[in-house]
This record gives sequence, C-alpha cells and structure tokens, in this order.
Amino acid sequence: MTPLRLLERLLQLVPVLLGISVIVFAMMALTPGDPVQIMLGDSLANEAQKESLRRDMGLDLPVMERFVRFLGNAVTGNFGLSFFHRRPVGEIILERLPATIELTLVSLVIAILVAIPLGVIAAVRRDSLLDRLATVGSMLGVSMPGFWFGILLILLFAVQLHWLPVSGRIGFGQEVPAVTRFVLVDALIAGRLDSFLDALRHILLPAVTLGLGMAALLMRVTRTAMVEALAQDYVVFAEAKGLSRARVIGRHALKNALIPTVTVAAIETGSLLGGNMIVETVFGWPGLGRLVVEAIFTRNYPLVQAAVLLYAVTYVLLNFVADLLYSVLNPKVRL
Amino acid sequence: MNASLLSIRGLRTSFPTRRGLVQAVDGVDLDVRPGECLGVVGESGSGKSVTFLSVLGLVRPPGRVEADAIGFLGRDLSRLSPSEMRAVRGREIAVTMQDALTALNPSFTVETQIVETIEAHDPSVGRKAARTRAIEMLRLVGIPDAERRLSAYPHQFSGGMRQRVMVAIALACRPKLLIADEPTTALDVTIQSQVLDLIDDMRATLGMSVVLITHDLGIVAERCERVAVMYAGQVVETGPTRQVVETPVHPYTRGLLRSMPRLSHLDAPLLPIDGQVPDPTRLPEGCRFQPRCPQAIEECLQPIRLRPVSPARAARCVLAGAEP
Ligand SMILES: Nc1ncnc2c1ncn2[C@@H]1O[C@H](COP(=O)(O)OP(=O)(O)OP(=O)(O)O)[C@@H](O)[C@H]1O
Ligand SMILES: [Mg+2]
Repeated sequence: MTPLRLLERLLQLVPVLLGISVIVFAMMALTPGDPVQIMLGDSLANEAQKESLRRDMGLDLPVMERFVRFLGNAVTGNFGLSFFHRRPVGEIILERLPATIELTLVSLVIAILVAIPLGVIAAVRRDSLLDRLATVGSMLGVSMPGFWFGILLILLFAVQLHWLPVSGRIGFGQEVPAVTRFVLVDALIAGRLDSFLDALRHILLPAVTLGLGMAALLMRVTRTAMVEALAQDYVVFAEAKGLSRARVIGRHALKNALIPTVTVAAIETGSLLGGNMIVETVFGWPGLGRLVVEAIFTRNYPLVQAAVLLYAVTYVLLNFVADLLYSVLNPKVRL
Repeated sequence: MNASLLSIRGLRTSFPTRRGLVQAVDGVDLDVRPGECLGVVGESGSGKSVTFLSVLGLVRPPGRVEADAIGFLGRDLSRLSPSEMRAVRGREIAVTMQDALTALNPSFTVETQIVETIEAHDPSVGRKAARTRAIEMLRLVGIPDAERRLSAYPHQFSGGMRQRVMVAIALACRPKLLIADEPTTALDVTIQSQVLDLIDDMRATLGMSVVLITHDLGIVAERCERVAVMYAGQVVETGPTRQVVETPVHPYTRGLLRSMPRLSHLDAPLLPIDGQVPDPTRLPEGCRFQPRCPQAIEECLQPIRLRPVSPARAARCVLAGAEP
C-alpha cells in the first residue's frame, strides 16, 4: 500500500470521528434534566454556585456554539474539569489509561498464545480428543461471564493457595518511578527485577481472566478458518510440491486463516480497552474501566463523556489497524 | 515393454461418506513409459484426479488408498515413509492442478511459491540462486518480463499466464514425470493450445514423461502416444492412441468417440452415450458400463479384468478377446 493511499484511508476516518463526536455530544446535551443538578446530586449547593458551575461548563451558551467548543476542546484533549477530582479530565484519564492498555496487551498476548496454536491443532486433528476438549473449553469460555471466572481465580489462587495477590497493580514498597506508566516496563527501566515480578504476579489473574475469555472466541475463529483453509486446493498443491507438513500448515494454510482471526482480535481488543469495567473492578485494577465506573456512580459528567469518546475513537482506530493488517495478509485487498 | 517409469498395479482408493463408501478408484493398472505422453480420459468423476493424488500419497484421511504396488524407478511408492514420499513429490513427480486460480496460494507472491519448492528439495541453494532459477523458470514457460512478474501475486496474472506459472512451479526441480491434471479446462481455446504446446516443449526440453488428464479425447489424439480411458474408477481401455481411436474395442470408448465432433470418423451422427454415470456408492455388478452398454450380454454381470487385445492394447470387456 502506498503512503498516499494510507493518508486517504486516514482522512476517511475524519467523518466517522465527527459523527461519533456529534453522537456523544448529543447524548449529553439531550439528556433530560439539568446536568448541573444531576452532577451535584443531593449536595446542598445554592443557586449562585450552580450558576457559576453552569457558566464554567459553558452550559449557558447556545447548542451549536457548545458543540463547536466541545469539538475544539476534544481535538486539543481538553475535556473540562472533573468536578469531583478538581482536576482536568484529560489528565485523570491519561493517568489511568496506561494501566488499562497494559492489562489489555498482556491479555491479548495470552489470548493469542493460547488461541492460535490450539485453533490450528484442533483444525489439523479434527474430531480428535484434543479438538473436542478445546471445543468444550471454548464454549465454556465464551459463555462464562468474565467476572465470575475472575472471582473463581481469585478464590483459588489468591485466597486458597496464596500464590498470587488478590488485587491491585503492584505491592506496597515495590513501586517504581513512573516513566512510561506501564509498570512492567517501568520496573525494567528502574532495573528492579523484584518489582517486575511483583507486577507480573499482580497482572496475571486479571490478564488470564480477560485473555482466556478472548482466547475462547479467537480459538473458534482460528479453528474454523483453518479447517476451511486446509481444504483448499492450494494446500494440496503445496503438499504436491514436496513442502514439509509444518510449512504447509504453518504458512500456506495459516496465513490465509489468520485473516478472520486478526479481524476478530482487533475488535475484541477494542472491547477489552472499553469493556473491562467489571474485571477491573473485581481485581481492583486502577485502570480506565474502574475510573468510569466511579465516574458513573459520582455522576461525573465530563469524565464519562470523555471516556465514551475515547472508547469510540479507540474502536474506530483499531478497526483501521485491522484493515491494515488485513491488506498485509490478503494481497487481493487493496485499501 | 517393462521399462516403465511409473507402474501402477491394483490401485484402490475409497472415501467413506454419509451416503456410503465411494470407491473412487477401483483396481487401476497403469504404466507410464520414459519420455512418453500418456493421455488419461474419462467423464467427470471417473477417478482421474484421485488416481494420481493416490500415487503421490495426497489422499487425506478418511480416504483410504491400497495398492499392490506403485513402481517408480525401482522403488515402490506405496511403501515409502512420509519423508521419503515428500522427497519424491515435486522433485521427481510433479503435478499441475485443474484450476491454477485455486491451486496457487493467493497470499504469497509467485517468487515465494517457486523458491520454496526449490528450497524444499535443495536446502543448500542460497536465496539468490533460487531466485535466479525462479526467473529462469518463468522465462522458460514464456512469461514476459519475468524478473518483474516474480513479485506479483497469482490474482495479478491472466488465466493462461497463471497456468504457465503453475507449470513453472511444477517443473522448477526438473521432475521425471509431470502429471498435468486438466491443464486447459479453465482456458479458452487459443490459450489452451499454447499451454499444451508449452507442456510438449517442456517434455522435450527436460526429457520427462507427461500424464495428461483430460475430458477431451481430441487433445489426447493430437498429443499423446498412448491413452488410458477411465470409467467409474477403472481403466476400461488402454493402448497406442491411434489404434484406440481408430479401432476402439470397449463400447464405452466407442461411445466416447462418437460423442466427440472432431473424432467421429464413423459416419454416424454425434451421439451422446445413453444413460448416466453410475452412483459411486452403488456401482453395478460386473462390468461397470454394462447397464448403459448396447452390446451387454449375460457374461457382463461377472467381474472382469483388463484383457489383452494385442501386445500393446488391453480392454476391460468381454468382447476384447473376440476382436479380429
Ligand atoms: N475427498 C473426497 N471425499 C469423497 N469423495 C471424493 C473425494 N475426492 C473425490 N471423491 C469422489 O471420487 C470420485 C472421483 O473423483 P475425481 O476427482 O478423481 O474425478 P475426475 O475424474 O478427476 O473428475 P473431473 O473430470 O471432474 O476432475 C468422484 O465420485 C468424487 O466425488
Ligand atoms: Mg479431476
């Protein structure tokens, strides 16, 4: 793909993002009731205080002007002040985002490491015992709620066996200076192997919870795609050329089978970045998901708005990445 | 006569299916001699492709292959280990498949697909040498601008060029035998003869033998020294092409000839063969063609083997011995 084509594709995202902004803005603007009153909840603020908050948030302006402002602010990363934290919303989100990204990436790695080999073996040894076990396992994984599985893991490995910590991201006294805000990376930068291992022990259970849930679906997709790929003429021809079995399966069939797998993995990653509120809460993981849960309970309007926008943008960008990977894997697709 | 390159004896291949056991190949005996072109003709489903997939050990479970022997250069292919078999495939016996579009992997460049074949059989060639050979092969099969086309993907070629690419891959290791499975069915007539010419040229250049699988007796008559006619998983007639075409022995061969415009030397009008190809899960007793055969007699219900007609010819028919 040429750089020009890439640019064109990126520009095509602009209307999509604009549309998302309109929806997010409208959601907030059209919600019945006085947002200030909702935000303040039962707290005893007087009219003057409410009025000043309203002015601070620009709620006294006409709708169009508010939208333009919102857009301008959003582009520059200014999502207003969190009334609750008394700090800019953007700052709070940025602080929490790395924890979520770190958890998502580790989960993704676990999911891929489990799902792709299992899916391939299940497809190659179709109807074998291993295939059947993997099928049952993935059905369980898909249907079991993540938080429930997470709680089981906590009960077993943390409460019963005391092998792993119950919650949090790193133990007391193990904290390392924040450089990238990815604790695993920061621990390595600080040269603290003990901190690294401690962080690894903390991330293990939530990442396994999310990763296995994702692996269940990914494995199904990989298996189905592999079964289909293995039945293709090009696999027979590859074998007829005298290639090794490993190469026929691992290159000729797998490269084609990965196309759907990558697409599903990207979409799943998007929903992990956005949808792991419950798992983050169960494991006391200080990420975006838990922040949003808190924000919803405290009626923190600007924060919820910013988070929703962020989720939507992440989702769109991940789909874009999936398209890119798709075109790499499948030369017939020109972006 | 015994100096066959490939000599198949008693090949039987079956597939269990939901509707019953499909006996796709049922006791095939075939010989391919050094340097010759053997035509294998038969209607769709007669077992042409499966016969040669079986020879190369490419039938996958639950398909089952049995053979008395598959002789090839002093070895019995039916008794080779998987890795010994791999060394034969692509190196000594190469294949081109019916449809180049589906046989070439859409996700890899032509370069990758040729080079990997060369490397599989000669791990010591460098990348560069393998690439040079790949370019050489593309030139040899008549692909213009070979060096540049090397980095193209299969879908970027026309149908005829794609077929040439597949021939280039098949011949990259200079095999002794090429099995060309309907190399031209997917192509239009002018391109057809170009591709067949190419295979002929290659046969002469590399001194290899060719098995040309086709529906078209006309193509066989033009290009093959010998022919084997298949029906319902069996060889029903075999011999030098001219003799078989001029004086067919088996009623099926006769019917096949009569249904072909270019070859109907008999002054009879073009006639399709009456009846239908038998259901592969419920094959008729005795001669497989007997329910459709205009000359069927009581004896045809008994099992029958290929019978010699003359030193060079054989037919699976009770009439075979009775030929003048
Ligand atoms: N994997 C399989 N499973 C079940 N049946 C099969 C399988 N492969 C082939 N067959 C059956 O074996 C028989 C012979 O098939 P084959 O492909 O050899 O025919 P063919 O002579 O090459 O026909 P065509 O001219 O259409 O290519 C057919 O009845 C086919 O349905
Ligand atoms: Mg065929």
